[in-house]
Amino acid sequence: MEHPYLFLTSVFGLFGLEEWAAHHPHVTYMWLAMIILIVFGWLAGKSVSLVPETAQNVFEVLISGLEEFVVSITGEEGRKSYPLLISIFLFVLVGNLMGLVPSFFAPTASVNTTMALALIAVGWSHVVGVWHHGFKYIKHFLGPVPLMIPLFLPIELIAHLARVLSLTFRLFGNMMGHELVVLILLMLGGMFLAPLPVMAMGVFVALVQAFVFFLLSTMYIAGAIEEAH
Amino acid sequence: MKKETGNNLRELGYFASLGISVALSIFIGLGLGLWLDKKFDTDPVLMFVGLGLGIVAGFSNIIRAGKKGKNY
Repeated sequence: MEHPYLFLTSVFGLFGLEEWAAHHPHVTYMWLAMIILIVFGWLAGKSVSLVPETAQNVFEVLISGLEEFVVSITGEEGRKSYPLLISIFLFVLVGNLMGLVPSFFAPTASVNTTMALALIAVGWSHVVGVWHHGFKYIKHFLGPVPLMIPLFLPIELIAHLARVLSLTFRLFGNMMGHELVVLILLMLGGMFLAPLPVMAMGVFVALVQAFVFFLLSTMYIAGAIEEAH
Repeated sequence: MKKETGNNLRELGYFASLGISVALSIFIGLGLGLWLDKKFDTDPVLMFVGLGLGIVAGFSNIIRAGKKGKNY
């Protein structure tokens, strides 16, 4: 279902790019999410002081609280992966919440964005595994008994492919479903504010889905770091 | 965040993602089998092999989760 009106598409229309922007709303709104995150990062880092003040407090609680959480899952080795993980969390959160603003499109409601994020997260977990175990990382895929290698190798490969797809479709399905429900309710009973309860729940869904994506990527990295079973 | 809350959240995320990974494993196995069938022109053989591998992969996820769950 097409959006009736998208704000950024008409902004791009001023530069004669309307047709392109109308076909790629996830790209333009992803840029907007990136700009928002960069501006917030700049604001937070602009005046860092030892005794935190108003805005710095918020960011410190968020960043350091989640850092301890990640380290408690992965162990001390996972601290190096934390910048990627928190970036994924904040980006998905901003992207999800963007879907709640009228005339905005959630970039995470497009399978292109979520697939890219899932590939980055799972790919990085394998990079961490190779980095940590060297060539022995292949033991993760071979199972416990050498005789069973021809059986275990395809099974493990399928299981690892399923990780990418499950990350992709969970986020995409939740955000896309939410958008569709809001649009349909808006058309059926927009005059009676029918989509309001669903939008209120959308805030919760956005937060939970961002956290689940972050948590599962953390656990994949933790699984790559730990010793082969 | 308290340590116990973090652990509970971790387990919640892990076990909640179990169902979808079983379903997707089966479909990935089936898809790989069908694709290889088309490539090597060995109609239904590899499809069944892939389907079987997918089912085994899905259930190995459950078994692994069960082993993990024994700690409680």
